[in-house]
Amino acid sequence: MRKVGVLRFPGTNCDRDIWHAVEQVGDTPQWLWYQDRFNPKDFDSFIVPGGFSYGDYLRSGALAAHAPVMQSLKEASELGYPIFGVCNGFQILCEAQLLPGVLMRNSHLRFLDTMVDLTVINAHKRFGQKLEKGQKVHMPIAHADGCYYVSDDDLKRIQDNQQIYCTYVRNPNGSVADIAGVMNKNKNVVGMMPHPERAMYEWMGSCDGQKFF
Amino acid sequence: MQANLSEKLKTYRISQPEYEKICDLLGREPKGLEWALFSALWSEHCSYKSSKIHLKKLFGKSKRVLQSFGENAGIVDLGDGEKIAFKMESHNHPSFIEPYQGAATGVGGILRDIFTMGARPIALANYLCFGEPKAQRMSTLVDGVVRGIGGYGNCVGVPTVTGQTHFDPSYNENILVNAMAVGYFGKKDPICLSKAKGVGNHVVYVGAKTGRDGIHGASMASESFDDNSAAKRPTVQIGDPFYEKLLIEACLEVMKKDLVVAIQDMGAAGLTSSTFEMAEKGGVGIEMDLSQVPLRDSTLTPEDIMLSESQERMLLICEPKNFAALKQEFDRWGLDACVVGRVTDDKKVRLLWHGEVICETEPEMIVSSAPEYERTYEEHQLKWPIKKAIPQKGEGVLGDAKMLNTILTSHHGGDRSWIYNQYDQRVGAATANDCSHAVGVVRLQESHRGLGVVLGCRPHVMRMDPYFGGIDSVVHPSLQLATYGFEPLAVTDCLNFGNPEKKETMTQFVAALQGMNTFCQRLETPIISGNVSFYNETKNKNVSPTPSTGLVGLRPSVENLPHDSFYKENQDVVLLTFGSSWFSGFLGEITQATSDGYLEKDLSGIETFVKKLTLASQEGLFASGRVVGKFGLLYALARMSLEGMGAQIVCDQAPFTEVFYQILLSTNDVSRLSKALLSENVSLTAIGKTQKASLQWNEHKWATEELKNLYKKGWEASFAQLAR
Repeated sequence: MRKVGVLRFPGTNCDRDIWHAVEQVGDTPQWLWYQDRFNPKDFDSFIVPGGFSYGDYLRSGALAAHAPVMQSLKEASELGYPIFGVCNGFQILCEAQLLPGVLMRNSHLRFLDTMVDLTVINAHKRFGQKLEKGQKVHMPIAHADGCYYVSDDDLKRIQDNQQIYCTYVRNPNGSVADIAGVMNKNKNVVGMMPHPERAMYEWMGSCDGQKFF
Repeated sequence: MQANLSEKLKTYRISQPEYEKICDLLGREPKGLEWALFSALWSEHCSYKSSKIHLKKLFGKSKRVLQSFGENAGIVDLGDGEKIAFKMESHNHPSFIEPYQGAATGVGGILRDIFTMGARPIALANYLCFGEPKAQRMSTLVDGVVRGIGGYGNCVGVPTVTGQTHFDPSYNENILVNAMAVGYFGKKDPICLSKAKGVGNHVVYVGAKTGRDGIHGASMASESFDDNSAAKRPTVQIGDPFYEKLLIEACLEVMKKDLVVAIQDMGAAGLTSSTFEMAEKGGVGIEMDLSQVPLRDSTLTPEDIMLSESQERMLLICEPKNFAALKQEFDRWGLDACVVGRVTDDKKVRLLWHGEVICETEPEMIVSSAPEYERTYEEHQLKWPIKKAIPQKGEGVLGDAKMLNTILTSHHGGDRSWIYNQYDQRVGAATANDCSHAVGVVRLQESHRGLGVVLGCRPHVMRMDPYFGGIDSVVHPSLQLATYGFEPLAVTDCLNFGNPEKKETMTQFVAALQGMNTFCQRLETPIISGNVSFYNETKNKNVSPTPSTGLVGLRPSVENLPHDSFYKENQDVVLLTFGSSWFSGFLGEITQATSDGYLEKDLSGIETFVKKLTLASQEGLFASGRVVGKFGLLYALARMSLEGMGAQIVCDQAPFTEVFYQILLSTNDVSRLSKALLSENVSLTAIGKTQKASLQWNEHKWATEELKNLYKKGWEASFAQLAR
């Protein structure tokens, strides 16, 4: 049984959902409070859940990126531990520069909750290891700041290095190159805007999310 | 002196007879802070002075009801150790003045009513009435309200799972924004009440600091609008959902640890209502030093502090020995918690300012002696007592199937996803049916059963007849719950009406309430919480009577819910008809073509029908189902065909007449279905078969793709500047 550290910031609101998803696939979640440091060696991997950390004040993810717990997460990243950020978790990982690029306000300037289809571009060794290249998956998005941006040079770099995790079949928010999720250079850190933890059973409208945990 | 008094009465919105009553109670003139206390607690908003006499008659008890009126929200026992708290509330006046903050704080306020009781909020719903799209400010109002609801609900992390939006000219200058919240208690979660007790216990202020916002908000909401409504903007509160999220977590934590004796949120009339109501309910006194209240603005006077409606604040009672542990939990979440007073045994509320007594009153005198008015009304007479058959085929607008295209592309009949896609409908990872469905559904955490949430009240039915409209506000949503297999359990309501000092308004109010109450009793769905919003009137024009309702229902699981669209090919399409009441409906009204019908107020057999329908649905006797509503049969068929599976229908009924009640079902086994459903007043007719890609209605035919395109266009046609 793998122990998964789940980060909690003030304003995180998908923490309990991630907790259940981790339990559902047979792993053991453990809370990591934003003011506390931790020892990466006690864990198999880490998840940064979605929500509105610090109420999205300043910029979504910007304040959380500087919380004490992030120092430990950076150490974990340097040691190569798998780290997964979902929605606001993705924004936090970008703000902490653990992932390339930034997430801007959706091009239509509104919050959008809807089901989307995604194409898996590159699988991640821990989060989504059962996914195959080119596979289509179905799950919801729910965000106001999901428009992914990188410069042209950086885009080429992450494409060449196979860092793109998944893309939207129909771009809902103006993201560069339809990008819905990316990995870091070492491919241990991964983030995505869609919510796999909200697609864990048929009654949720899809159970494709199970493959991401 | 006399001029001085009338000026004062105006400032505090107290009438001359009320002033005389106050003088009688006190045995002298009110002085100082007392003016403000009476003004707030005797406002319509806080005292329900025009409605109390009628609300007392409401059916509010059943074996499932653990808590009814008198607390922050009602509580229903679901069995298996699970309970839910729910309530609906209006925020009409603030939303018209400042739509974003008005709607946002409406959501914030109703959530506090729920978690104050110890329940974790698990679902939100909202009932909105707007004016015509072209009315002044209407796009701005729609945009602001939707952003406000989303801005608050999304951030605080509670999914919005259902809602209704109506448009009518009567709301042009007084929109309605009603929000409902549902909270969940698992086996180990305690229920917390607002009764102050334990002499010597601490009175603790928690949450956000007090500011200048919302001062006199309660009395503002108890007045009609005039040309100066913009000047009332400072009386609207400002919300911070981030703070509320922290407050939810901290409060639920200290309740679970049993550190709280009593708790109440500071809603309308802020600290005034929470202090006086907690003391009055507990039969104790409270001594409180207002100089201890955390302030955002150090120049606030004691009166400002007592009346401020700053958001995200709670007042709680805690034993002194538990205060350190309580404070530690609030500190952990970065929130203020400070002792502002103590519980006393003298049944008086004593307010101090830097240690000096500035006001001493008996809460009982202010709260229980608030005026109660028997406003003038007339006994309502039901319209159309002469029986007329449900129109067949017919001529004119209601018989013209081609009108379907017009309906689908209008804001009345078109797609509403522009609204609800701005709400997070799935946070909590328990949503089984989102806002695109007739009934919102969440899965209960421990038992994994399904909780259905649905709103009622159709303003066009209310305009036709307030008594029948009241019935419909309960029966229509009950049938919706039953269609998807949810046993209707209980009701909350939000009674939005015009000026109660007018006989016409009170007549509507009493008739609607009687209709609702009679059928709540018949269906055994007690009314367990709610609020009344009067004075929805601008420049002497009342809104349509709008008693919105919120119903919850229970289903053994969330698996295999019937769809609200057709999805299986070659199934029989069955039209279930209950009773013989009907009217010319919404199309007749908006085209001003006809106004006719027949209404039977008994709806004899409706209880049995609801029960049988619930069971048939749970047993999976039909694959798809939809209660026929606004715009009648053909519109319902079109809505069921939007996912690509249509039907071929042969039917003589006029396509847009509205019947009370009809339900469309698709099934493989008509005989089993009819055996399960046939009962008093129910008839069942097979009217066609499901088929791929097109909807045929007698000689008319539409591709399902075409219907979808028309339906998607409806919003943009009316709100071009908002559509993306």
